Amino acid sequence: MADKFHDEIEFLRRDVVNMARFGRNMLNDSMNALQLQDLTMALEVKSRKLTLQEQHDSLEDRIFTMIALYQPVARDLRTLVCSLLIVQASERIGRYGKDIANATRHLADTDTTGNFISIPHMSELVVGMIDDAILAYEHEDLNTIKNMSKRDDVVDSLRTSIFRECLTYMMEDPRTITRCTHYVMISRFLERSGDHACKMAEKIHYMVIGERIEIK
Amino acid sequence: MVIKMTEQHEIIHVDHVNLWYGDSMALRDVTMGMPDRQVTALIGPSGCGKSTLLRCLNRMNDLVEQCRMQGVVNFHSKNIYASDVDPVEIRRKIGMVFQRPNPFPKSIYENVSYGPRVHGVKDRKQLDTIVEKTLKRAALWDEVKDRLHDSAMGLSGGQQQRLCIARTLAVEPEVILMDEPCSALDPIATAKIESLIEELKTEYCVVIVTHNMQQASRVSDYTGFMYLGELVEFGTTRQIFETPHETLTENYITGRFG
Repeated sequence: MADKFHDEIEFLRRDVVNMARFGRNMLNDSMNALQLQDLTMALEVKSRKLTLQEQHDSLEDRIFTMIALYQPVARDLRTLVCSLLIVQASERIGRYGKDIANATRHLADTDTTGNFISIPHMSELVVGMIDDAILAYEHEDLNTIKNMSKRDDVVDSLRTSIFRECLTYMMEDPRTITRCTHYVMISRFLERSGDHACKMAEKIHYMVIGERIEIK
Repeated sequence: MVIKMTEQHEIIHVDHVNLWYGDSMALRDVTMGMPDRQVTALIGPSGCGKSTLLRCLNRMNDLVEQCRMQGVVNFHSKNIYASDVDPVEIRRKIGMVFQRPNPFPKSIYENVSYGPRVHGVKDRKQLDTIVEKTLKRAALWDEVKDRLHDSAMGLSGGQQQRLCIARTLAVEPEVILMDEPCSALDPIATAKIESLIEELKTEYCVVIVTHNMQQASRVSDYTGFMYLGELVEFGTTRQIFETPHETLTENYITGRFG
């Protein structure tokens, strides 16, 4: 019985990692589509939303069932709690990817993306944070998530500077308002995704050590 | 070994206890405290010494031949193994409930009134009051009040077990020791005993030995994990079941051995 349960936890962890990468790829690919101004690619990212939702629901359901049937304790319980949080965070991250893909439609045919070098840079940082959180979960190794707090600070200040930059453009030329508002939104989505990576890191820390921490 | 002592007032304190049955060592240097008005659970695989430890607490091991003990068990800061202590008096103050319900083959009334009568209560009215009060405390009164003089053997297993708890309570103990009190009962009777334990802890110190880890996590405030005669880890139940410090504890409660 116990062996069956522990096998199930291993299968679950593998599937959670896959789902987390699925959400991460939605975010990453939507940013690529934005940079390349590739509408087809953006639409394709949008279409993944359904699969994302299905994976989220089925994993959540599996975790609830495992808790109900096996009443896990200690590390087993902490692993399930952490997995649940990762599933939820990954779903949010994937949906931000979908939102960015949506915005791409409005930003197509404009050639100003290149001016916003900070947005692709911000996206790189955030995707890196998510990657490292997933790695930490996969290998139960806290090394890759040691500096999450500092990395999140950089992401936060990028968002502030993008916001200021956009304000300047909008004041100079009201015709840029639509476009700049989208940029502000996108930087916000990226910043939120970074926060989700931090939340994942907190729970992974709890899973491995058993101690609650807060990443500010 | 991480043994975090409780902050609550300890009514029983076990100090460096070793115990042998003949040549085999059953307890190794066990030190722990049982806080008053709290439930302490002892868990561990079969043969780990948890029942032996429980039986040390009211000198039940005195009756076992070839049983030798070293160390001190303090009850209200007095060693219960001191030569001037009357074991019968200790067993009155520290009552015990066993795995299988073992009512006397007498009426329900007599089962409960037996203890007080042995301790000198003769007055019928006073006995009536004790019987009613203790059966109520054991959550059995409503089920048996109309058949107090029927045989206790006619009760269901769960009722018999609550009767045994009532029998223990009748002599006004301070501590109640329970050795697997639910392992011979069905889930509903078990739930009744568990909610009874919850009520009892408002007045008594309860120490329970259980094989059922979910039961330990449900009913107890403190948990001790024993293995091969040693107390491996002791702490609040929440800590033991959420973040055990010892790998051995972790492996046992998550079912990786045992």
